[in-house]
This record gives sequence, C-alpha cells and structure tokens, in this order.
Amino acid sequence: MKINYDLEGIVFDIQRFSIHDGPGIRTIVFLKGCPLSCWWCCNPEAQSLKPLMMYQVDRCVHCGLCLPVCPQGALSSETDAFIDREKCIGCGACAKICPTEALVLKGKKMTVNEVVDILKKDEAIYRHSNGGITISGGEALVQYGFTTELLKACKINGWHTAVETTGYIGSESAINEVFSYLDLALLDVKSYNDEIHKKYTGVSNALIHKNAKIIAGMTKTVVRVPTIPGVNANEKEIRAICGFAATLKGVDTIHLLPYHTYGENKYELLGRPYKLEKTPSLTEPEIDALEEVVKSCGFHCVIGG
Amino acid sequence: MIARGFTDPTERIEKLKRVILDATPYVESERAVLVTEAYKETEGLSPILRRAKAVEKIFNNLPITIRDNELIVGAITKNPRSTEICPEFSFDWVEKEFDTMGSRVADPFQIPKETAKELHDAFLYWPGKTTSDLATSYMSQETKDCMGAGVFTVGNYFYGGVGHVSVDYKKVLEKGFRGIITEVVEAMEKMDRGDPDYIKKLQFYNAIIISYNAAINFAHRYAEKAMAMAASEMKPERKKELLQIAKNCMKVPGNGASNFYEACQSFWFLQCMLQIESSGHSISPGRFDQYMYPYLKNDPTIAKDFAQELVDCIWIKLNDVNKTRDEISAQAFAGYAVFQNLCVGGQDEEGMDATNDVSYMCMEATAHVKLPAPSFSIRVWQGTPDEFLFRACEVTRLGLGVPAMYNDEVIIPALVNRGVTLNDARNYCIIGCVEPQCPHKTEGWHDAAFFNVAKVLEITLNNGKAGDKQLGPVTGDITTFTSIDDFFCAFTKQIQYFVHYLAEADNCVDIAHAERCPLPFLSALVDDCIGRGKSVQEGGAIYNFTGPQAFGVADSGDSMYAIQKNVFEDKAMTLTELKNALDANFGEPIHRTCSESIDLKDMTTEMKVYEVVKKILSTSGSLDIAKLTDEVAAMETTPKSYGSNDYLRIQGLLNKTPAFGNDIDEVDFMARKCAQIYCKEVENYTNPRGGQFQAGIYPVSANVLFGKDVAALPDGRLATKPLADGVSPRAGKDVNGPTAAANSVAKLDHFRASNGTLYNQKFLPAALAGDKGLQTFAALVRSYFDHKGMHVQFNVIDKETLLAAQKNPDQYRDLVVRVAGYSAQFTVLAKEVQDDIISRTEQSF
Repeated sequence: MKINYDLEGIVFDIQRFSIHDGPGIRTIVFLKGCPLSCWWCCNPEAQSLKPLMMYQVDRCVHCGLCLPVCPQGALSSETDAFIDREKCIGCGACAKICPTEALVLKGKKMTVNEVVDILKKDEAIYRHSNGGITISGGEALVQYGFTTELLKACKINGWHTAVETTGYIGSESAINEVFSYLDLALLDVKSYNDEIHKKYTGVSNALIHKNAKIIAGMTKTVVRVPTIPGVNANEKEIRAICGFAATLKGVDTIHLLPYHTYGENKYELLGRPYKLEKTPSLTEPEIDALEEVVKSCGFHCVIGG
Repeated sequence: MIARGFTDPTERIEKLKRVILDATPYVESERAVLVTEAYKETEGLSPILRRAKAVEKIFNNLPITIRDNELIVGAITKNPRSTEICPEFSFDWVEKEFDTMGSRVADPFQIPKETAKELHDAFLYWPGKTTSDLATSYMSQETKDCMGAGVFTVGNYFYGGVGHVSVDYKKVLEKGFRGIITEVVEAMEKMDRGDPDYIKKLQFYNAIIISYNAAINFAHRYAEKAMAMAASEMKPERKKELLQIAKNCMKVPGNGASNFYEACQSFWFLQCMLQIESSGHSISPGRFDQYMYPYLKNDPTIAKDFAQELVDCIWIKLNDVNKTRDEISAQAFAGYAVFQNLCVGGQDEEGMDATNDVSYMCMEATAHVKLPAPSFSIRVWQGTPDEFLFRACEVTRLGLGVPAMYNDEVIIPALVNRGVTLNDARNYCIIGCVEPQCPHKTEGWHDAAFFNVAKVLEITLNNGKAGDKQLGPVTGDITTFTSIDDFFCAFTKQIQYFVHYLAEADNCVDIAHAERCPLPFLSALVDDCIGRGKSVQEGGAIYNFTGPQAFGVADSGDSMYAIQKNVFEDKAMTLTELKNALDANFGEPIHRTCSESIDLKDMTTEMKVYEVVKKILSTSGSLDIAKLTDEVAAMETTPKSYGSNDYLRIQGLLNKTPAFGNDIDEVDFMARKCAQIYCKEVENYTNPRGGQFQAGIYPVSANVLFGKDVAALPDGRLATKPLADGVSPRAGKDVNGPTAAANSVAKLDHFRASNGTLYNQKFLPAALAGDKGLQTFAALVRSYFDHKGMHVQFNVIDKETLLAAQKNPDQYRDLVVRVAGYSAQFTVLAKEVQDDIISRTEQSF
C-alpha cells in the first residue's frame, strides 16, 4: 500500500483518551472544514477550513504586546470585539506573543506523518482497551484526500479506525475511497424532516440519506442523533430517524447524544452569535423517554456515545 | 457485568468505625514515663539491654484497653486514634507545643494539663541523651546550613524512630514468639566464647529473650482483662466473644496460630507491639494475603462472612494507630498519616501469580471500612488476572485514592540491580508511601531525606548562592553560559556538592540510632539479625539501603527546557533578561503568592508570619515582636503590580513553553536527565550498615511546604509556589490528557529510582463510570506499566477540586472533560457549564 506521508491537512485538535467516539480508548483527530452549520455545533471553530483566532477576554491582561505584531492591523484595544474578523487572516502572530494565552489560534497544517507520530504514542492504550483512532471534525471527509492517507497509515499499524461524519459528501468516489479503510462509521442523522434539517443545518438531508445507504453497505455503521430540544428531541422525529435507520444495512445501534452547552462559550471566543442561546439541556426523564422510543423500534440505544 | 459492587459492612464494623471517626486524638504519657523510669534504672547497662529493659517495662505496665465490640484486641493507647510519645528519639518539640498542639491546623492532638505535667517531668531526664541530640552533635556546620536553606531535610529519623520495615509476620504466625526465643537459644548454644563479638552478641540475644517474654506477657495481660470483662458482662453474646478473645490471647502470639481467627489476632499483636517499641512510622504489614491465606484455606469451619469481619476488624485497628509530629512535619504529612502499607497480589518467589481469596477480601475490607489505613497497595504484572485488576479499579472508584498500583515488571529488575536475589526481589512488598523492599530481610531506611532538586537548580542559577549566602560551590555566572550543557555541567556540580552533605547528614543520624536505640524486638524478625548476632540498626539485616527521595524533578526539567528553547533555540530572550526577570519574580511581590495553593484553610496568616520570622532572623538574628507585627501588617497592604511588560512577555513565553507531562520527548528527557543526575550521584554513597544509597522520587506532600523556600524558576513558576508532586507533571501543565501525562512520567528512569516513585493521576468520576469505566481504568494501568512506570494511584476528583479549578484554572488544566465529538478542557468551559458538571460530579457512580 502506497501512503503519502507528506500530505498536509488542516487539523484543529488531536484529542487523546477519548471514550465516547467508538470502542475503547481512542485518539480523535479533529479536522477543519464542514459543509453544515448546525445551530448547536459544539466545535464551531471547525466549520471554516482556515485557521481561526479565539480571544478569551477574561485571560487578557491588556498588556498590549500583541497590537504591534499583527501584520493586518486587525487588533484594536478600542473595540469590544478586539479582533476585526474581516481583516484577520489567522496567521497566529498575536497568539505567539500573547503571554496569558488569551489569544489562541485554532487550526494548523500537519502532515500525515506528524499526525501518525502522535497517534502512535497511545498504541499500548488502544491494545489494552480495544480502542483505536477516530477521525472527526468538522466533517471528516471535507479533506478526504488527507483522511484517506491518514486512514491507510492507521491500517498498516493495525489500529481500529472510525469516522464521525455528517454524511454530507458530494463525491461518491471520496466515499468509496475513505470507507474502504474504516472499521466503523459514526453517522450523524439530525432530522428526517427536510424543512427542519434545512433550517437548522443549512443543507438538505437528501444527499445524506443517499450516502447513508452507501456507507452502511461498506462499513459497520452506527447512527448518531444529536438530540436537540425544540429541534428533534421528540418522539415523532426519533421514530422517523429510527425508521430511516431500519432501512440501512446492518445498523443495529443508535446513539442519542443529548444536547449540551459545552460549545457555547466558543462562539463568544470566536466573536460569533450562538443561535440556540438559552436552550436548556434535556432532563433525565426526557432522555429516558427517547431511549425507550429507540428501543421500541428494535435498536440498541446508547446515551452519550 | 464487570462491576460486582460491595456488600454492606456488619453492624459491628459500623460501630467500630464510628468510634474512629468520632475520636479526638490525644497525646498520652504512659509510655514516656515508663521508658524514662527504665532508662533511669539501667544507666550502667549496654544500649541494647537498656532497650530490652525499657520494652519489658512498657509491655508489663502499659494500660490494657479492650474497646466495645472488638473481636481483635491490642491497643497502644487508652483513647482511640491517640498517640504515645517516645522521648528517647527527641522530645523538645512536644514540650514546645504543649499549649498549641490541640489547636494547630495540621493534625491537632489534645494534651491535657495532667499529661503535660507527666511528660514534662519525664522529659527532664532526656536533654543530651536522645538520638536526635547525638546526631546533631555529629553533623558539620555545612550540613546544618544546607538544611537551614531548605536544600534537604533528614527530618523523619532525626526526630523519631526509623520504622519503614516489614517484618517476618509468617514466622510469628507459624512458630509464635516462643519459637523466636527457641531460635535465639539455639543460636546462643552455638556461640563461641573466642568470637571477638561474643559479648555483643550475647547482650543482643539476651535482649531479644527479655523483649519477647515481656511481649508474651503483654498478650496474657489482655487475656486476663478479657476474662475479667467476661465475668461482669451481662450480654451472653459479648460474654462469649470475650471468652474467645481471652483464649486467643493466651495462645497467640506466644504460640503459633492454628486457625484464621488466631492468625488475625497474632498478626495484630505483632503490628501493635512493633509500634510500641519505637515511634518509627511506616511499619508495613506487606504481603498480608500471602502469609494469611494458609490459615484461611486450612480453616474449613470458619464462615466466610466471619472471616471477612475479622479482616475488617484489622482494618479498623490499623486506623486506631496514630502518631504526632512537630508542627512543620505535621504539615508535610498532613492527615494523621501512619503509612502502614499492606499489599496484595503480584508474583510469588517462583514468578507465578500469587493472587488469592485473601487478596479479594482485602479489597472488600477497604470498601467496608473506608478509612485512611492501611495504605493499601496492589502488585500488578503481565500475569495479573483482569478480574483482580478490575476489582482494584472498582475500589479506586470509591474515591479513597487506594489501592496504589505497583509494577512488578519494573520493581523486580530494579531490586535485582541493587543486589537483591531474584527470588527475594519477586517477593517484594511496599513500605510506607511507595518504597519497595524484600520483606523481613531489609533495613531500607527508605524515607531518609527529602532532597529539593528545584532548590539546587535555583542555587545553580545564582552561581552557588542561596539568597545572599554562598551555600554551594561557585559554578559560573549563568549570563556567560553559551549552551544548555553549561547549565547541566554547573547543575551537576551543585548536585554533587549537596548530595555529599546529604549523605553526611543521613549517616550521622544512622550512627546515632545504632549507638543509642538499637531495637531488639524488631531485630529478631528481620533476617539475618539472629544469625549475625546484631540488631537491624547495627547492620543485622541482609539488605541495607539508605533511600533519600527527590522532588522538584518536573520543575527542574521544565526550567532546563525553557532555557534551551527560549534562549538558545528561539533566541526570544537573553540570559540576562531571564535572570533579571527571575530575580524580580517576574515583577510579582513574593509574599502575595505564597499560600494560595496550600490546601489547609486559614494558613495564610501563619505562612506570612513564617516568612517574616525567617526574614527577621536572617537579618538581625533575634526576634522583636513589635517588628514582627509591623512586617506582617506591611505585607497585608502591599498592592499587586504587574511589573513591566517585559517581565510579562518573558513569563508568558516561559509559561507557554511545552512542559513535562505532554508526551514530548525533548521536553520529557530534560526531566529524566535532571532526575538521573541526582539518582546517579546518590548511588555513590554507602551507609554505616554496609549498604548502598538509592534514590527515590516522591514528595509525600513536602512539595508544597518546600516550595516556599524556592525562588522564581525559568519554567515560569513564581517564588514560593508549590513544586511538582512526585514524578507528576507540574500542576495544570499536562494538557494532552491522562495517557500523554502517563507516557511522559514513564520516560523517567524508574528502574534507577529504586527507592520508589509516586505518580498521582486525577479523574472526573464521569470518565470512569460503568463497566466501560473499569475497562478504561485497567487499560490505563496496563498501558502505563507497559511503558515501565513504577507506581500509579488514581484520585477521583471531588466537588471541592472542581470548585478550586474554577477559581484557579491555570492550576487545573489537566482536568479533562469528555463528551462525544467535542474538543476542550474543563477550565475553558463557561462557568454555568462548569457548575453543571460540578453538581453532577457527586453522583456519577
């Protein structure tokens, strides 16, 4: 198998000791770029392909060290926003000098080789926990060339591979290529109702439905439903999703991922509005009820992945 | 289902536990008075016989106490969780604290007026006669200066007995004390009057016989007391129990045990008596499951529940033992720690897995009793059954911080490298905190000193000076250095200099113990004291070590890497800029920062007073109360200033420099190198018992206390802040998750740090919930041990820790929160989300 170890991708995090995204203990490679813009997205820094600055005002000591180093003149202590997002090109010069890590750059170019070097560090933990590697994002297939090379490199090490995907992938050949190196697909299904889907994710679900069938035909697939109050956290929607999942080959498990607000803070750091503001988390009884719905449709149900 | 859960403890255990939890610790005077009387009566005798006579007097006269509901008896003190005093080691600190020990912050003990008076009268005998006095008289001024500056301390054995041993429990269970006496008599019969050591040996043998006869009498006094209590007991059930207790105490430990109940009673008497003879802590039961199992297996009539209750009773008794220390040491060992380490599992002498039913019963007892003692350890190797490791993880999840887990695959070769035979090494147990030794053959002197590697680095950066004093050698002005090698060269010379005085200090204390406090009762149960005819203190053990432990390793390694990267590679600052920033503590007032991170509440003012007292004493040599008040008041009002932007820039760069604990080789190898420089230097020294020095890397909690004496460091740490804990990364600096941190720690040379290393990992309960949590736990242990880490223990994080993390996020960046498909750390979450996690933390299992 030929592998291009020098191919570069844009990575915004490599998170070791992950325990909710596939079996065992895993390392997740978070890639940048996503065609969807879900209102509840907990990794909004991943949506754009280019590196983004995060600014955490409560860490800032207003020392002013960053102001003169910005090549774009995008920083100003006069404005509340501090960063002019129009001007910022994500070069990271300010983050480099910031003494308190109030400014942090999200996203950097890494080669397949550099990523694999980090993945290798937890080989023993994959072995002892039956874990492996999960590629996530963003949408893991936006950079499908990089994803493919990375997965090939994982397979020659004998690691279990999984992907978290929206299923919103334009190129069928990309799917064919990537999924032949995968042991597990964690396929997000947000809503069976296309109107709702369009409203909350920005895209139609037709392509996702088409791809889901291809993916399930190639790779062991688990359907994951981010369960959002006011969007899809109701019996009707969950039943519809289960009905769809029943048409996918070999799908026997559905993960309900209850809405959480862990990502809300990031919107502020990115200087963007959070559209689901003031949405409460689901209560235990509400989650239990939805779990019962999934079970009544004949699926094994896991809460939280 | 992997998780099995735990049964509820019996009503008896609940009641006994309540007594411990409700106890107010007291200082009692009987032992001090008895030992003083004995010493007054025996002035003309040799030290070993004086010790025997003192032990005899104590065993014959110490009050006999059987507490309500006990099945296993034998108490050191009348009040539960209380302590006796051993003035033969040192006493003046007790006298100084007569009025304050009851109200101090760390580990208070009540001293009633009458007790204080009896102790005071006893203490009048001791000035100039203690081991501490003798050791002090042997030490050079240079050594004392090093200790004064906080480079190292030999506190433990300087002020108290040595302890830190695991004796031959098996022999006592099998042959009883009478068997020991017989063995000694046989040795005496073989003696040759022509042997130049004949007289010394004879004294030693006589001392053992005196001690063991008195010890048998001590048990018989318990039998009499139980009989008397039975006679007046109204409840028939308790009456029956007391009669059984009387029967047991007549038989053991005088004779061998013939069933599990007798074995439990015999074990406890021995454990208790060892701690009456001397004040040394870390008297460790060692491989309890190995020597107890035959008595369970060969006791077909015992009910399983009753056997468990007996083990639970032993767990309670282990918590009845308590020790007081001087105020500063009490801070270092906060939590009434006595360190009776009990370990289960692992290999036998032949290299086969030795896990048995008693190993599992010990887990159950830990879950039933949920008290700090024993320091519970498990041994793990590649042949350890998963079931056993899962069970240990289930105990860990209870949040008690135990069991600590030890890696046979590192410890066995590490001990072999120190000259221990393969069979003996396979039979190792753990002493005290984390120190491996071959039981009943070793005088390990494991806790010989705390050595502050970070302080030595500070001294290196100041060309041998500590403050204004030229304490170490002149090794060069660092602003003239041109590579990191120059730093390592200077650092190595400073380490060599200070380790030399450390060895001197330890050996002075060692000799003082041999000359003034040889211990006949203990020595008879350590091979080959009887064969050699001399005490443990005089070199009677087969294996002899001195183990001074280092701390501040991560701080030193990170500082070296920060210099390498920022000065020599990135050229982001000059050495002069760095040095100026360090001298200025990055523009931060030093005293403002000194006590934030100390867990003990209300310490702030006390710490400030401590700082001021040191300052005044160092300049004027005497203390003027008016000046003290002024200085403390001045401190309270000094405003915080950010200093110049340049200090901020420099500190920012240093803080952002990758640190030990993130699985980055070039960073981690700096810490490895710093630790190795210390470990290798220590190995060059030998002790008066004929054994080698061997280093350990663990701080107990000295890293907080001794941090107060260390100035700002190139890793960005401010003056007086706590240092890194053991081999752990600096607080909050390991941001790549627990597996990365564990890999970094495993890169240290644990084989060489054969006196033990200590690694604490903390987890949010949610990460370890359910069966998957147990599998996750077990995988973490196996993986860390694959990478050749030596020890790990897991602390499940409680609500208080998370609240602290909200306040001081930089100290807690290692806390990981895991949610499907999400990337971030606890400390970057919005406050409301943190609050939500905190509220859920307490009910995760």
